[in-house]
Amino acid sequence: MIEFTADGPFSEKADQLFPGRVRVIGLGHTGAAVCDQLVLHGRPGQDLWVFDSDQLTIEGSIVPNRHLLGRNLVHGLGCNGDVDLGREIVALEEAKLAPVALGCDFLVLVLGLAGATGVALAERFVEMGREAGAKVIVIGVQPFAFEGASRRARAIEAISDLRREADSVLVLAHDRIADNPTTVKNIRHGFHLMHQLMGKIVQALSQVVCKRGLIQLSFADVRSLYARYSGSEVLENCWAGHVDGDIHDCAEDLVTELLATPLLADESIWKRVDHAIVAVSGTRDLGLSDVQELVSLLKERLPVNVPIATSASLDEESHDAVRMTVLLATTAPARLSVPELTAALENPAPAKKKRSKSDTVPLPAFTPKTEEEPPLIKVPMKRPQAPAKPVPVVVAVPEPVAEIVPTLEEELAATADLEPIPVLEAIEAHEPEPAMVAALPAQERGLRTAAKQEEMQFEGPSRGRFEKTHETMYRGENLDQPTFRRRGLKIRV
Amino acid sequence: MFWGKSRNIVVALEVGSTKVAAAVGEIRPDGTLALLGIGEANSGQVRKCEIVDFEVAQGCIRDALAEVELKTNVVVAEVYLAISGAHVRSTNMRVTTLISNENDEITHDNVQELHDMAAGQPLPTDHAIVHHLLQHYVLDDGSTTDNPNGLASKQLTAHFHLVYGLATRLQTTIRCVKELSIDVKNYALSSYATAQAVLSRNQKQLGAIVINLGGGVSDYIVYQKGAVVHTGVLGVGGDHLTSDISNGLKIPYAKAETLKKTEGSVILDENEAEATLKLPGSYNFEERLIYHSSLNTIMQARQAEIFEIIMEELQNAPFWNDFAGTIYITGGASQVKGLIELASQIFPYPVELAHQSPFDGDQNYGRRPDLSTVLGLLQYARQAEMELPPARGIARVGQSLRKALANMRLI
Repeated sequence: MIEFTADGPFSEKADQLFPGRVRVIGLGHTGAAVCDQLVLHGRPGQDLWVFDSDQLTIEGSIVPNRHLLGRNLVHGLGCNGDVDLGREIVALEEAKLAPVALGCDFLVLVLGLAGATGVALAERFVEMGREAGAKVIVIGVQPFAFEGASRRARAIEAISDLRREADSVLVLAHDRIADNPTTVKNIRHGFHLMHQLMGKIVQALSQVVCKRGLIQLSFADVRSLYARYSGSEVLENCWAGHVDGDIHDCAEDLVTELLATPLLADESIWKRVDHAIVAVSGTRDLGLSDVQELVSLLKERLPVNVPIATSASLDEESHDAVRMTVLLATTAPARLSVPELTAALENPAPAKKKRSKSDTVPLPAFTPKTEEEPPLIKVPMKRPQAPAKPVPVVVAVPEPVAEIVPTLEEELAATADLEPIPVLEAIEAHEPEPAMVAALPAQERGLRTAAKQEEMQFEGPSRGRFEKTHETMYRGENLDQPTFRRRGLKIRV
Repeated sequence: MFWGKSRNIVVALEVGSTKVAAAVGEIRPDGTLALLGIGEANSGQVRKCEIVDFEVAQGCIRDALAEVELKTNVVVAEVYLAISGAHVRSTNMRVTTLISNENDEITHDNVQELHDMAAGQPLPTDHAIVHHLLQHYVLDDGSTTDNPNGLASKQLTAHFHLVYGLATRLQTTIRCVKELSIDVKNYALSSYATAQAVLSRNQKQLGAIVINLGGGVSDYIVYQKGAVVHTGVLGVGGDHLTSDISNGLKIPYAKAETLKKTEGSVILDENEAEATLKLPGSYNFEERLIYHSSLNTIMQARQAEIFEIIMEELQNAPFWNDFAGTIYITGGASQVKGLIELASQIFPYPVELAHQSPFDGDQNYGRRPDLSTVLGLLQYARQAEMELPPARGIARVGQSLRKALANMRLI
């Protein structure tokens, strides 16, 4: 008797071609809420874990694999924004965490970027995941602007740290849902909306990285969009939309509903978006022509010419249902807004604690490397209004030379049309530090002092007639300043 | 007499960055509008259409109203107010309702429900709605209409253009007028008012962009198929040109303003590279020679930047790909030389100076682009008054009494 074996997209063979095992780990309160959504609306078989130091979060979660950390240290009360405390907890609970990173191909970490426990855990899980040979994707959400400068600064630092190590970091912003009617009526509904959407992103990524399908993308597609930067120069880099529909629904309605997702409601994001991934999944009846129609309709509706990478897969259990998720990405660093700049200046990021770094993964690709740098680094200490004459200082730096990562200070200095002082931070990480400090004028010793001076410079000259009004900012330029001056035109007087 | 019921007077007030203008018009029984007069006063402490010093601005408004009262012999009791400022934002939205009648017939109540839903849309914190301008209605078969009353459909969708601004800034301007015992009957976005003065119904249908270059701000409005599809306010205007000249040539602001109006151009002429002009001295200012090229370079850079930013904003709006109309430029700052030429270099559509629609009254006002907003506001007021349901019975008596008391400054 001839034995027939299933072939095609539902066969075991097809499964073996894409053997990705995705493990989703919810970290902190946000991570737990997203994992809850995955349990409620996700498909069975997802490998979900939740960790937090807050007992209420853990008790409230419906994820089977949930663990309270640091009970002896914080008694289930959480870290209250103290990342160092979070790191202590992580160090204490190392034994509990280590097995979680093993036995999977993709580790998806979901967290709120302003949370201490979540960030501390994410840092450790990224390291452990990479040591175990898994690809690590981080999905984080920035806090609302009104939550304060300190939380925002913490989030910026976390983004910078995670991007340095993780394979892909998707950063969403809570502020995108601030104007949503649901949020305006009840902020809890707004959070719920965001958690749902993050859950959909996790599902879409799972589909892209490991699911068999009509049109197959791979992890490389995700990484190419969300692993381009290593620092915090691009804060928000992901916008997503999702729609659940029926195979018999009008395709145009589906696309319209997709684009009505709160994160895509703000038309200003279309100026920044330059790549998109669309994940479509549906029943066996979902044909290539259906996918083609959906994607072409989406292309028509996008106001800018955004290249779209499409992943289409079949789902045996989705009875006549079609799911469509769009992930948008940017490659252009956004100018920080005035409140962000002010917040950043008021709360300069503290000197980072250097964690052990693995050299096995060469990403992110766009980071300026200094592997071939000469052993000498010139430090131009030029400050326009410094009391002392600018002194070029030459400092001997022993190898190996650390990465020079574009920092927030650079962004701020560039916006303020000042000479940036990029290498100070890099040098700070090297030995011997005293040599550099001794070479500087007394009032300029230390980065914090220098940052203060930059802050004074940023205020700029008098605004004359527009002194009492709000500054008119456009793409980072203060339009109240004369155009000829900003454009460097020479005027004969 | 002021209580005479035969006269239906409307007053429009614009508190601009350069001047405060108040226009008085009379709506005739046949619905046409006659301009009775305009009062003007130089603005003080109003920057970018926002009041910086409340008392000084209030004094300017008082002066303008006093002038127009003197000219027209009308006691101003209530005004229509023009609203602008960089805080004003806009968006397009749609609302849908189900028709639950037996015959699926759309009634006035359904239409009103949609308008109420649009007006009640949640806005960002601290923002208040200025306009919800209807674009069109869509029936369940996808067809569009401007008047759905009596048509049959299972659901009705209305597309609106929503304009909103910071409540505190809006309140400041309104309070500034109200504290003079003058009621603000209604208000309108400046660019929307301007469009009423310079665009005909046909032009709105064909597609038109009106750019109003004011002293403090440059606002713009886009009409497509008769409906407003986009509005915007850029917090840069003619004052910035003057300020740039003052900064660049190191001359006092007042002299820079004169220089801009009399000698300046936004087009660079290579033949004038070495040409100079003499700036007369005064008691604290020595006579100086100014390079024409310097003046024009400063002005060209600023004006081109304004147009480029507007162009960028328009290009990113959804309507842009389907737009095929004309760009009309108006406002006080549109009087500088070479403006249309410069605009034509930047915008890919025909650019013209806007001309105001004909009206009864002193035609000299109609030739002044800096009055297009206040005159457009009068048109807006006329339309609003005509759409008001006539008061009857006791309500009419009450209205008359209220008007009389208001005219006597008793309420």
